[in-house]
Amino acid sequence: MLNVQTGRPSVFPFVAIVGQEQMKLALTLIAVYPAIGGLLIRGQKGTAKSTAVRGLAELLPGDDGENSKHFVDLPLGATEDMVVGTIDFEAAIRYGESRFLPGLLHRAHGGILYVDEVNLLDDHLVDCILDAAESGVNRVEREGLRVQHPSRFALIGSMNPEEGELRPQLLDRFGLAIQVSAEDSADNRVQLVRQRERFDRINGAFVASYHPQTEALAQRIASARKRVQQVKVPSYLLGFISEICRSNNVAGHRADISIERAARAHAAWLGNDQVSAEDIQQVAPMALLHRARQGTPPDLPPPPPPPEDDLEQDHPEEQNENQPDRDSEPPEPQSNDDGQDRGEQQQAQGDRQESRPAPAPEKPRDRTADEHDGEVWEIGQPFRVRSLTSEKDHKLRTGSGRRSRSRCSNKHGRYVRSTTLRRNNDLALDATLRAAAPFQLVRRKTSAPSLAVHIRESDIREKIRERRMGNVLLFTVDGSGSMGAQKRMVETKAAIMSLLVDAYQKRDRVALTVFRGCEAEVVLPPTNSIELSSKLLAQMPIGGRTPLSAGLCRTAELIEQVRRKDPLSRPIVLLLTDGKANAAIGDKPAHIEALEIAVQMQGRYPFTRFIVVDTEPPGAVRLKLAQKLAVALGADYFEPQTLRAQQLIDLVKENY
Amino acid sequence: MQTPFENRIYPFAAIVGQEKMKSGLILNIVNPAISGVLIRGEKGTAKSTAVRALADLLPEIAVVDGCPFQCDPDDPDHLCALCKERIAKNERLERKTRKVCVVELPLSATEDRVVGTLNLEHALKQGERKIEPGILAAAHRGILYVDEVNLLDDHVVDVLLDSAAMGVNTIEREGISFCHQSRFTLVGTMNPEEGELRPQLQDRFGLCVHIEGLNDAKDRVQIIKRRAAFEADPEGFWQQWKKSSEEIAERIGRAIDRYWAIEDDEQILYAIAYRSIEAGVDGHRSDIVMLKAAKVLAALDDRGRMTLDDVAKAAELVLPHRMRRLPFESIGPAKQQPIPTSPRG
Repeated sequence: MLNVQTGRPSVFPFVAIVGQEQMKLALTLIAVYPAIGGLLIRGQKGTAKSTAVRGLAELLPGDDGENSKHFVDLPLGATEDMVVGTIDFEAAIRYGESRFLPGLLHRAHGGILYVDEVNLLDDHLVDCILDAAESGVNRVEREGLRVQHPSRFALIGSMNPEEGELRPQLLDRFGLAIQVSAEDSADNRVQLVRQRERFDRINGAFVASYHPQTEALAQRIASARKRVQQVKVPSYLLGFISEICRSNNVAGHRADISIERAARAHAAWLGNDQVSAEDIQQVAPMALLHRARQGTPPDLPPPPPPPEDDLEQDHPEEQNENQPDRDSEPPEPQSNDDGQDRGEQQQAQGDRQESRPAPAPEKPRDRTADEHDGEVWEIGQPFRVRSLTSEKDHKLRTGSGRRSRSRCSNKHGRYVRSTTLRRNNDLALDATLRAAAPFQLVRRKTSAPSLAVHIRESDIREKIRERRMGNVLLFTVDGSGSMGAQKRMVETKAAIMSLLVDAYQKRDRVALTVFRGCEAEVVLPPTNSIELSSKLLAQMPIGGRTPLSAGLCRTAELIEQVRRKDPLSRPIVLLLTDGKANAAIGDKPAHIEALEIAVQMQGRYPFTRFIVVDTEPPGAVRLKLAQKLAVALGADYFEPQTLRAQQLIDLVKENY
Repeated sequence: MQTPFENRIYPFAAIVGQEKMKSGLILNIVNPAISGVLIRGEKGTAKSTAVRALADLLPEIAVVDGCPFQCDPDDPDHLCALCKERIAKNERLERKTRKVCVVELPLSATEDRVVGTLNLEHALKQGERKIEPGILAAAHRGILYVDEVNLLDDHVVDVLLDSAAMGVNTIEREGISFCHQSRFTLVGTMNPEEGELRPQLQDRFGLCVHIEGLNDAKDRVQIIKRRAAFEADPEGFWQQWKKSSEEIAERIGRAIDRYWAIEDDEQILYAIAYRSIEAGVDGHRSDIVMLKAAKVLAALDDRGRMTLDDVAKAAELVLPHRMRRLPFESIGPAKQQPIPTSPRG
């Protein structure tokens, strides 16, 4: 019964996976109780994330194995119509019927929908999936169809955070989240490699050798599945759950619900009829990892002691929706030794989960003798930047990336409307059929009778789609001597570095212009190579006067150059300066000249978004010259601190 | 595609130097599960020549004749849906033996060409949905070669990652829902000056080699001479190198046969684990690939056991691109380019 799906290679058995206990537990809980609401697995590459998830598929109770209905794989290349469902092409052309062809959301109903690399999925697809996941219903209003069908599924996503983060809104939608990393112990690694090599050698036999264990696990999941509905949560523990959420400053009530459900699944998995404090302590970190405020490891208060009179007492009316009033049952912060211990253990685990490879500590380098030409400052600690996009327009672009919304001419993106222009073989069937409809009677007499609908070249309509794309980011950086004061360059470089990391994740192209001394120079022409620009950034020296106008002129040339190459591109200019100018090109005072040029640039390049990042150090006397420059450019004005994406701002910004 | 006597390709054996690259490629032929090699180097260092030359060395495999998904007739459990359908209709699946293919993925390839899509013409004329298999179907059980892999469009990279990870290509587009095996050896070349590869994709390459132009004058002269000889008389040149080529092919064949006879020595396994731990690599792919590579090295030398030396050599190919780096730090021994930092004048 295992592995009958057509064309699939044998899957590495779930039970043969070495280590990764938390991931295995979390997946098991989802299998036991899909209503937990999905699982997000975050981790480095090569940590058996997808192997485990696909292994899990084999454990799910399928109907007959054929086309395992309970596990649906959503490939990154999936088109929107295949996800939500679309008009049935065959039925339309053959029989002239407008029939609904169900999509992946229909197939996933009652089972699990798996998205590998979920952070790379197109935003509009994510929205469709979330809508369905939230409401349990998939509503289709497209191509002349109006259909709705139930679509309740557990969403499992896996991702590597290096490639970009998920929107917080989406994060919250996952019931549980875990962080996986490679096994540290050599013993486990050896064991793992040995398993893998055996699997590669005797594929089928290897899978078969684990068959008894796999069957046993599947049985255990199946019986836990039956039991989970009956598992009860004693009322004193409901207060414990909300206390956990409250002490971790979790927004909203989803965490409470996830913990409650996951704890019930855990109890059912252990064969119990009632949730214990241990169950909650086991699952709470998974519900908090992605919801707690960044940087704070999940912190578990000690569990309350059970009420003395009754352990067996049922509270059937409270087990599900009824969240008790948050303040009504404050758990006594009593030091139950055992519980305390566990709490600490969890916390330690949390600590480890949060740790990431730390970037180099910020420390300005001392001036060395050989750097006669300028000083080189190190890069400060990078941070996550707020979202910067260019405005939406109606131009058609090819390309990819994830920054600004745009019309696009490859087959990605949301279908917004149709056109008669034939550009890329992206058939809009509904529009095509509508165009062909009036002529059917006439054509039926003349062409092949086997088809219900006769379509001519002239009927064909194509889809116009819209999606996010990367931009060209032009960094123009003040490299004058004044930037060396008070570590400002360290902070400025940190800001640029953060913007570069963001640019990588949104797949932008970047260019770097530096102005100092008596001229401005493009040290890096527009390139995809963000690591190259970061290398340049690290080595960028500073010193000399501030030729702000020269910097602006050079940037203007770059804008022209970028537009010549791609007339539709919308560059984003990031100007990092304190706005002080002391070297002019012409005869006017330097700062007046710079402002004049800025005004001209704003008028000349309406398609360009300007952003000024003020590098003037915070202090008593601030000249705020950069702010004036920003006004002249029509630019958005930031200080390095405001550039940081605080979570709240982020939430607002990213939810449009 | 190529008949044996026209369009001779430059023989693999005649490539001067670049031993690491050659060994990386050969390791992958012996055990495709090593999952590919990334060749990093400057322009004009015989990267593409070497990959194209592989065609002569590749072993033969059995496929179902006419199956666009390269099904293996000896593995009836894992046939594609089309072959299953043929069996259901009581058709016989004809067997065919052919060499392992090198399928090239051009940079301009669109995502639907890579993944496979709806055959639009068939759909409009016959009113039937029919799949138009893509490059991932053609590359199954073969080598997928991407020149300038770092310039590949992002979407295509995502799709590649998806199927390289699991050996399966899932098509969900334009009304087609289809799933077929797609296990391939990913061979990519890139010039790091033009930008790095995404770490995720980098990790999918089992091995990574850095190559540089040869600095020895004698070698350089040798290259020119051989190239000139090849261009003057491709057929004659090929004949001249035929014996060496055959020797390599035989050596590969022998290594394939003895690969599984090599023991998973405890001491070697620990040596591998410690190397990965020391290097601080992400995940476990490095351990898995290092073992396979070390084993192939032993097999190529006709030895029944791996040695620590094999592990050291394998580590050199497996670890450099996997070391954990600070964001955007450069990889391995890439040369520090002189960077213009000061305004001229």
